[in-house]
Amino acid sequence: MMLSPAAAMSNRVARIVAVQTAALLMDLARLWLWAGAAVSVPFLLWGVGRVEPNARDSWAFRPLLIPGVLLIWPLVLWRWFLLETGRDDWAKRHLPPRRAHAFAALLLAVLIPLTIIAGLAIRQGPPAGAPVLLEAPE
Amino acid sequence: MSVSYIPVQWNGFKHRYNLALALAVGLYLWIFVELGPALLGHANPITPQIHNARAFGSCAFLMMSVILMIGPLARLDVRFLPLLYNRRHFGVMTALVALSHFLFVFNWYFVFTPFPSWEALLFSNTAYDRALGFPFEAFGIFALLALLILAATSHDFWLSFLTPRIWKSLHYLIYPAYAAVVAHVTLGAAQGVRGLAFPVLVWSLALVVAGLHLAAWRKERRAAAAAGEWVPVCRPEEIEEGRARVVRLSGGERAAVFRHEGRFSAISNACAHQNGPLGEGRIVDGCVTCPWHGFQYRVEDGCSPAPFTEKVPTYRLRLRSGTIELDARANPPGTPVQPLEAPR
Repeated sequence: MMLSPAAAMSNRVARIVAVQTAALLMDLARLWLWAGAAVSVPFLLWGVGRVEPNARDSWAFRPLLIPGVLLIWPLVLWRWFLLETGRDDWAKRHLPPRRAHAFAALLLAVLIPLTIIAGLAIRQGPPAGAPVLLEAPE
Repeated sequence: MSVSYIPVQWNGFKHRYNLALALAVGLYLWIFVELGPALLGHANPITPQIHNARAFGSCAFLMMSVILMIGPLARLDVRFLPLLYNRRHFGVMTALVALSHFLFVFNWYFVFTPFPSWEALLFSNTAYDRALGFPFEAFGIFALLALLILAATSHDFWLSFLTPRIWKSLHYLIYPAYAAVVAHVTLGAAQGVRGLAFPVLVWSLALVVAGLHLAAWRKERRAAAAAGEWVPVCRPEEIEEGRARVVRLSGGERAAVFRHEGRFSAISNACAHQNGPLGEGRIVDGCVTCPWHGFQYRVEDGCSPAPFTEKVPTYRLRLRSGTIELDARANPPGTPVQPLEAPR
């Protein structure tokens, strides 16, 4: 089936937008990781020892923290700021949010059956009849 | 307490746990790669690269399912608790298996494109407006990113630096990640195989995971609803000297009621170091000693002995009709509470 010129142009524009969006997302991802690398140097060399007493004379474990800093560096900066400025709330340290187990249970109980129903609804059967082997043109 | 960080804290239990895990993963991959082609019945012939991708992908799904079963199973039955204690190593291994799956896919489908491979990964399928042919890859990318964040923040340092509250909130990413993996498989691999055996297997496992979470949540909800502000714990004689009884509170918190020199005191069950189960420890030299890394707290005020500064919340106790009851409203960490005298 041939597309009309307008539909073909629309497809072409959508394709260009998709390519440019992908390029933009990758640029943002690179920028994010470079920013993480920039944070990781001072944090691992000085920050870790300043905010965590158990890390003061420990160096071997610090390289293991690099992937985490690269991925969540804004959170690292925020916690570093709270600890350096003494704004950390000690009373809240021991309140792991176990109440969220209820939300997690309900999330899984709703999303998983919905996904299964969607998967079954769109599933296509095999083509009817035996497959035909096509001959190559002479 | 002072426990200098090292790259990985090992003990005999962790060695055995990881060895069993690595053997199970290796066995699964071997069976899938060697016996899989005849058993799986793909709709079309597939290359060894795709077969390897499916071996690692299905292994990662299975591992995520098991990881997510451990938590509710331990809340339903304490005999599953040992499986909980090394779940972080299990999670890191799962992230590595999932990453292997991604690399097999990426290095087969996206390296021969004239466009930059990473960008091609994102724009090769943009049919977000339809169910059939939906870019299931997006679910997989999200889940992999979530697994990598969890693995990268699994070291003890992160728990202490972020605080258990933020660390746990971050690690709740595992739930949307699991839902995304189910969608990734359902809209991807499950659409491309003959028959329903493979999809039904995947969906059954996912439903078991969801069912266990619901069952554990309902159990804790019923227990919380049955108790008011004062929660019955047990009779005094049921707690051995130097030991504790753990009680669940509304919201899922746990408190440990200890007997020390014939008197009773209660503190949070979660150690300030890594949330280790204090109630499974014992009193050594007058202090509750965490069974995981030996962090200690005075039972009367939840403070570590000087010069250490860790603190955990404390709870008030009372005796009613021969039963110890605990006030579910926790005191701020380090609050002294007069111990409850044992009845004579």
